[in-house]
Amino acid sequence: MRFLEAVLRTVRHSRRLATGLVILGLMVLLALLSPLIVKAIGGSTDPLELAAYERWLVPGPGHLLGTDQFGRDVFAMVISALAVSLQIGAIAGLISTVVGVIVAFVAGYKGGWIDGLLSTFTGILLVIPTFPLLIALSAYAKNVSLFQVGVMISIFSWPFAAKTIRSQVLSLRSRPYVDLARVSKARDLEIIGTELLPNLLPFIGVGFASSALGAIFGLVGLEVIGLGPGGVIDLGQIIFNAINTGALTLGAWPMFVVPIALLTLLFAALNMINIGLEEVYNPRLRGVAGE
Amino acid sequence: MTDKVIELRGVQQRFHARGTPDGYLTAVQDASFTLAADPPQVVSLVGQSGSGKSTIARNVLGLQKPTAGTVTYGGKDIFNLSRAEYDEYRKNVQPVFQDPYSIFNPFYRVDRVLWKAVKKFSLASTREAGEALIEESLKAVSLDPGRVLGRYPHQLSGGQRQRIMLARIHMLRPAFVIADEPVSMLDAQIRKMFLDILLDFQREHRMTTLFITHDLSTVYYLGGQVMVITKGVIVERGPVSSVMHEPSHPYTRLLLDSIPQPDPANRWTTRIKVDESPDADTTAAEAPEPRPLL
Ligand SMILES: Nc1ncnc2c1ncn2[C@@H]1O[C@H](COP(=O)(O)OP(=O)(O)OP(=O)(O)O)[C@@H](O)[C@H]1O
Ligand SMILES: [Mg+2]
Repeated sequence: MRFLEAVLRTVRHSRRLATGLVILGLMVLLALLSPLIVKAIGGSTDPLELAAYERWLVPGPGHLLGTDQFGRDVFAMVISALAVSLQIGAIAGLISTVVGVIVAFVAGYKGGWIDGLLSTFTGILLVIPTFPLLIALSAYAKNVSLFQVGVMISIFSWPFAAKTIRSQVLSLRSRPYVDLARVSKARDLEIIGTELLPNLLPFIGVGFASSALGAIFGLVGLEVIGLGPGGVIDLGQIIFNAINTGALTLGAWPMFVVPIALLTLLFAALNMINIGLEEVYNPRLRGVAGE
Repeated sequence: MTDKVIELRGVQQRFHARGTPDGYLTAVQDASFTLAADPPQVVSLVGQSGSGKSTIARNVLGLQKPTAGTVTYGGKDIFNLSRAEYDEYRKNVQPVFQDPYSIFNPFYRVDRVLWKAVKKFSLASTREAGEALIEESLKAVSLDPGRVLGRYPHQLSGGQRQRIMLARIHMLRPAFVIADEPVSMLDAQIRKMFLDILLDFQREHRMTTLFITHDLSTVYYLGGQVMVITKGVIVERGPVSSVMHEPSHPYTRLLLDSIPQPDPANRWTTRIKVDESPDADTTAAEAPEPRPLL
């Protein structure tokens, strides 16, 4: 398949990109296996249940990372919170990218007043301070589902994707090969799909990775200051609990350290993917890459 | 068909531009000419960089709608054709562009532009017939199909890529080829080969070429008719021989003077400042009142 071929070609060119993808892949795998892992830890009891075990157990063979203030197994909690964080990143990243790509293509390819209108709108969303708005929004969202949180966050992250991709569309649409496609009777949608989109894949990848990153960390930011939407336990929520209960002083350091380590790893992986993609596709850095 | 004629009447193309008095830049002003397919001929359009040559090519190819005036094919406005007329126009008016590098989408193998032509213009009904056609056309432009097919654009030389574009023309057999500086990026040897292929096409496949260039020696080589354009205005036209030997417009004389002289005694004695051409202040200032935008 062309698409896979292109992806493989890209990965071969950047060790950074490959490393980032491997780390991310491992974390996704861990998240996918989280129900099984949780089951393996708990056996017949649900390790995430309140008062499943004794409170504040120190790390040991039974509970690798100890238990929290409600007697839940921290290892099981961290694993399932990782899955939640990744899902939110994926949902928000996907929505942002899809909306961003559509807006960017309509604006960039059609040009004229449509471009003016959409660009102004995107610009406005870009400059309004999103974090306070998120805080306000989450005040209303006390018992929301994971999906709703993802949607909420993506409202603010799609303009970033749209902005990068639009400028690329603008530079690509005046390429001679687009003119050649037009005199070969290709229609607008066909040109967008077959001439422009493939060349935009890396930028779409960057858009996805950065909005996923933004969403995960936006939510963590909300949680840490205690304003996260209720009902969703992601990595930020565990960190907030650790801070709030003074877990560190009680010897329950894993509750604080492990989520932060996972987030750092995730941050590093997504950034490596971003930088790697830019490295491979930035024309100025490209010269030596060849194929 | 006898009505294979492209006609430009009073074509004007303006662009929004910052830093000009009225916020517009007039790239082409009141351009009128006719290209006839019968008899097939070469019409050169010569002028310096920025004179509006590519803009005219884009107008003729239907890639850019002029801000005033009309471009007609067979007497019909090309921006207002029925489905069947549009197909007929597209089939018969095809380009060769300047830059053999960016004409290929780097994402695909070069075969794709040829297959696209086969499919979009229904040139062959089976895969085998399409393959045969592609091979035949590649051979017609002295390319070895085995050495170019299946390759990515960056794996071919500029000359090879530009000849693939010619192979595409060979497949489509349009009545008109709009060649926008097709040889300016090729070396002298490949350049001659390219021009000879174009002349062959004119003779054997009865193609009329609008050949855009800034280089008078290629105009000499091709012969036929020539139009001289400067600052968006076509200032002189006629058979190559008479325009070259008895230029009537000062700009044409300037162009002729700027051909490098092989005689060492003659070299470097005069300097030519392009911006001080005799018509520098006439074309822009005396151009007719701009028509409103569409
Ligand atoms: N899309 C556009 N938007 C704004 N200005 C344009 C556009 N296309 C062309 N121009 C301007 O119109 C003028 C004529 O450009 P054009 O490309 O037709 O020149 P040219 O004769 O083909 O030059 P060259 O020999 O360098 O290719 C130039 O001043 C150019 O900057
Ligand atoms: Mg040009």
